[in-house]
Amino acid sequence: MDIPVKIADGIAIAAIPVDELDAGNADEFKRDIGPVLQAHSKIIFDLTRLTFIDSSGLGAMLSSLRQLSARGGDLKLCGMSKQVRDLFELVRMHRIFDIYAACQEAVKAFQAK
Amino acid sequence: MSDFENSIRRHARYALGQEWSELSLNERFRAVALAVRNRLIDGRIATEQRDQRAGAKRLYYLSIEFLIGQSLANNLVNLGMREECRAALRNLGCELEELEAVEPDAALGNGGLGRLAACYLDSLATLGMPGFGYGINYEYGLFKQEIDDGYQREKPENWLAESSPWQMERPEEACAVPVYGRVERSVDRHGGYNPMWLGWRLLIGVPHDMLIPGYGGRTVNYLRLYSARSSHDFDMGIFNDGDYFKAVQQKIASETISMVLYPSDAVVAGHELRLLQEYFLVACTLRDIIRRFEQNHADFRDFSQHVAIQMNDTHPSLAVAELMRILVDEKNIDWEEAWETTLATLAFTNHTILPEALEKWPVPLLEHVLPRHLEIIYEINRRLLEKVEPARAPRVSLIEESSPQQVRMANLAVVGSHSINGVARLHTELLKTVLFPDFYHLWPGRFNNKTNGVTPRRWLLEANPELSQLISSTIGEEWVTALDRLRGLEKHADDSAFQAEFRRIKRANKERLARVIGETSRVAADPDSLFDVQAKRIHAYKRQLLNVMHIVHEYLSLLDGRTPAVARTYVLAGKAAPGYWLAKQIIKLIHDVGRVINGDGRAQKWMKVAFIPDYRVSLAEKIIPAADLSEQISTAGTEASGTGNMKMAMNGALTLGTLDGANIEIREEVGAENMFTFGLDTAEVQALRRGGYHPREFYEGDARVKRVADALGSNLFGASEWIHGILFDEQDPFVVLADLAAYLDAQDRVSQAFEDPAQWSRKAILNVARMGKFSSDRAVREYARDIWNIDPA
Repeated sequence: MDIPVKIADGIAIAAIPVDELDAGNADEFKRDIGPVLQAHSKIIFDLTRLTFIDSSGLGAMLSSLRQLSARGGDLKLCGMSKQVRDLFELVRMHRIFDIYAACQEAVKAFQAK
Repeated sequence: MSDFENSIRRHARYALGQEWSELSLNERFRAVALAVRNRLIDGRIATEQRDQRAGAKRLYYLSIEFLIGQSLANNLVNLGMREECRAALRNLGCELEELEAVEPDAALGNGGLGRLAACYLDSLATLGMPGFGYGINYEYGLFKQEIDDGYQREKPENWLAESSPWQMERPEEACAVPVYGRVERSVDRHGGYNPMWLGWRLLIGVPHDMLIPGYGGRTVNYLRLYSARSSHDFDMGIFNDGDYFKAVQQKIASETISMVLYPSDAVVAGHELRLLQEYFLVACTLRDIIRRFEQNHADFRDFSQHVAIQMNDTHPSLAVAELMRILVDEKNIDWEEAWETTLATLAFTNHTILPEALEKWPVPLLEHVLPRHLEIIYEINRRLLEKVEPARAPRVSLIEESSPQQVRMANLAVVGSHSINGVARLHTELLKTVLFPDFYHLWPGRFNNKTNGVTPRRWLLEANPELSQLISSTIGEEWVTALDRLRGLEKHADDSAFQAEFRRIKRANKERLARVIGETSRVAADPDSLFDVQAKRIHAYKRQLLNVMHIVHEYLSLLDGRTPAVARTYVLAGKAAPGYWLAKQIIKLIHDVGRVINGDGRAQKWMKVAFIPDYRVSLAEKIIPAADLSEQISTAGTEASGTGNMKMAMNGALTLGTLDGANIEIREEVGAENMFTFGLDTAEVQALRRGGYHPREFYEGDARVKRVADALGSNLFGASEWIHGILFDEQDPFVVLADLAAYLDAQDRVSQAFEDPAQWSRKAILNVARMGKFSSDRAVREYARDIWNIDPA
């Protein structure tokens, strides 16, 4: 999975490059996001393209957050569609992640710290 | 060419791709249904706009069953376009009745509970109230019953095989439903406790709307039925691993959830699929309710001012846990406030006091399927038990301390509802005193009665058009929406011309039913005989066995040379749950008794026994208007209400009944002299059970009882040795032998009364005239006033 990453002010913005993140590609995502997690401590996942996520996809995101947190970093999410946001809320993930409507807001939140 | 005819032709051409003249009967039905649906859609849009403008509070009626039956005739009647449609079809060279006959029944229910839900939707729309049904779009409805050598055989009923023209799929409003998985206890970003639901499997609920017009067509509501779909065509993870068949299996397993209606109204707890169905209904519905609420409101403290939810029996009672989960987990509302909102929103209707029919789910199963909900149920229970006296705790607890532990769904529904109602006065009293006495002690104000009702549109206006015409020409048409107006018929009860017309219509209905009997049961029924009808689910408590024993008694008396006072056609119909052995034996017994009697030349003139197979709504519409005698003979204290009793009396049948369910209230309305009651009342049945029931005393104490029981134990009607096991069982909860003598006496009174046509007609007319109370309009008004707090928009 080719995950485009933009870096600005020490913040890495990784655009999730798939419409659906699920059991079919969650492992691939975990593998390919690994180097990004290793290289940066402030990361934003841009979910604009994502229309569907299942429990494996959510699990991959949770694992990313935990890896970063363990190293004192943080992960923020932005660009969530209504369907994806609903699922986050359904399983209380919205309380674990810092979620912003627009990526610029997530960047500002990092910068404000 | 009328607009409507034009519309039919257009649908034939552009929806079905052929000229009208090329269409089969089924296709013609579809073209007409689609043309009618256009009118419904117009009405629905206007209704929604009106509701929105008024900011109307909405009622959501959750039911695992909706027994709709056929829709064409009903929609035409309610839209007031039956004659317009008939004329259009005549121009097209077709009779309306031909098309009505080919429509498959939407048999999304087993019996009373599901049919009640359908009647209430009709009344909500007729009263202009914003009330909507939510259920499951079963692909296979209740099984089709066939009879093979007297035995019931079940055949699958795929009513959606060709998709229903009444349904509109709404994929854009599909919702995601997670199931299974585990709860991981963690903390959120602010250090608060945050149980996360992980590892779930996702189902998708796709809504299908059926539009429900009220009488007059001003309001068109909807019934939203959910189909389960897999979240993906295939699980690509499995597919990529090369296991194609496993991937397909997972997809099928997801879609199985809305595949089949459970064919029993008895216990199904323990079946994982049923639990999934119940949660699927609740989760899809609540997601839709929340979505609609959030379109216009932001503050969930106002939720119950805009939303009322009625749980039709315990099947949707997971709504208590699901609404709490949404409010607490998703909307970040404090537990206490969420609980207040839940309580103020939900209401519960109980439909049975038979303890074995109260749902319980094993804790391990619930934990497996809905781990987060089990946690919420535990928390509700913990807070409940803190407040109750220790002595009551084991009885009110949501958890039964059995092995394994079980979650008591009725207790969950009661605890989470601001209103708990029974469906007839006696039934509600039994809820307070027998089923839920501890809860009644805790919260007496939550308990209330709402006696059932039936819609006069389907059950009189549509099912019995000639009688409806007679009524309207005599007292005006207002009765259709104000059934109390039928009282105006009282003064015609002794009018010989009115009586003659009333009898002519009844006979015509009997002729129509006799043709059905001839076609389906190969029995030649005489329309001049008394049509003695028992049509309902076959169940021990409904005591079809008692009916059979009377038939045998009459036959034996005839063989002894006693000429019956009147000729009778005994008409029975009803389905047995496929796994209910006794009920299936009763069907076989009816056929065995029928075979002997119908084949005996000595009985030819006096008795016929007909079992009409595949009882369903559309068949009921033919049976009920033809009934002279309505058998409502359940053991007192067992039938919650009954609604067949109301439909038959409304169509001029006299009731032969026990003091059970709504029979008691029917007697109050029509007058004891216009009904035949018999047998033990509830207190007497309870006393008999407490003091020890000794069926042999009743057997020895009445020669008729002994003779009938002996005959059934012999080989006169074939092998039926099981009957004595039932009749002489001192634990027989339905005390059949205790009521038999009184039943035979009551049947003698029926025969004597039927010998006098003028007196019989008088009673029958008074029955029709005094059935106003049993309109579902009255029942729905009471729910709206006392429980839902909704008004016509």
